[in-house]
Amino acid sequence: MADPRKPPDDLVLVERLRAGDETAFMMLVDELGPSMRRVARMYVSSDAVADEVVQEAWLGVVKGLEGFEGRASLRTWIFRILVNTAKTRGLRENRSVPFATLAGDDLDQPTFDPSAFGGPGDPNAGAWSTLPFDWRGMPEERAEGTETLHVIGGAIAMLPPMQAEVIRLRDVLGWTSDEVCNALDLTETNQRVLLHRARTKVRSALEEHFRSVSEA
Amino acid sequence: MSVDASISCQEVVELLSAYLDGELDPFTLERVEAHLAGCDGCTMVLEEFRETIRLSGGLTVEQVDETQRRTLLEAFRNWRAGS
Ligand SMILES: [Zn+2]
Repeated sequence: MADPRKPPDDLVLVERLRAGDETAFMMLVDELGPSMRRVARMYVSSDAVADEVVQEAWLGVVKGLEGFEGRASLRTWIFRILVNTAKTRGLRENRSVPFATLAGDDLDQPTFDPSAFGGPGDPNAGAWSTLPFDWRGMPEERAEGTETLHVIGGAIAMLPPMQAEVIRLRDVLGWTSDEVCNALDLTETNQRVLLHRARTKVRSALEEHFRSVSEA
Repeated sequence: MSVDASISCQEVVELLSAYLDGELDPFTLERVEAHLAGCDGCTMVLEEFRETIRLSGGLTVEQVDETQRRTLLEAFRNWRAGS
């Protein structure tokens, strides 16, 4: 997991950008580019428009550098510019995307299958009736192999876009929950719900995977 | 623990992300910890959540498209030349 960049490092980085340091700029582009493209794509109609939005956002970033004060982390600030640019562009395209489309329409449902627990009226209501497959203690070379990463990547790709982005930023890239709320314009509660659903689905995918390899 | 302060497995599994991220209020935290101390099933799922998070950190970050990189670098140079 990447170390969260500390605000003082941000200020040094901003100084370098202001001075026109291309290496510093491309480092940021490489770090944030893939997420920025996906986030932009949530609000606009095509990949091509998303690319334009990302470009426009970077332009906004370099033009706004003088005003960066380090109150939010640099990457959060860049994402705010991106999300605003993308939303404006989406409006101009007459494209309004309901939150449920981005976040998933099952947020008020339990994340775990209720049939794994005793039902209402059962003396053991709410307690495990069927335990999930125990995949702890998988040999390390199996758990950490490319196949496992493939399973995780595949499970994330299946998630509604906002769930996918929250888990990528939090667990793949190591952002804090504050940063993610700010960057994606989510309330703390929504961020937590989205992250938990995403992690639950990735955990289930791993459970399925390890169960099938242990039976093979 | 009194009966109405207890919390079920089904409730605990919904709180595991918040628990791992240190986002539970003290009252709920105490109930979750008391439950975990006596429940192997929920402890197993908690440990698998931890492992899921750790393994997710090993995913490689995707590459930015080369054309897009060149366009952005050029835009950065133009900005610098114009400012
Ligand atoms: Zn339990």
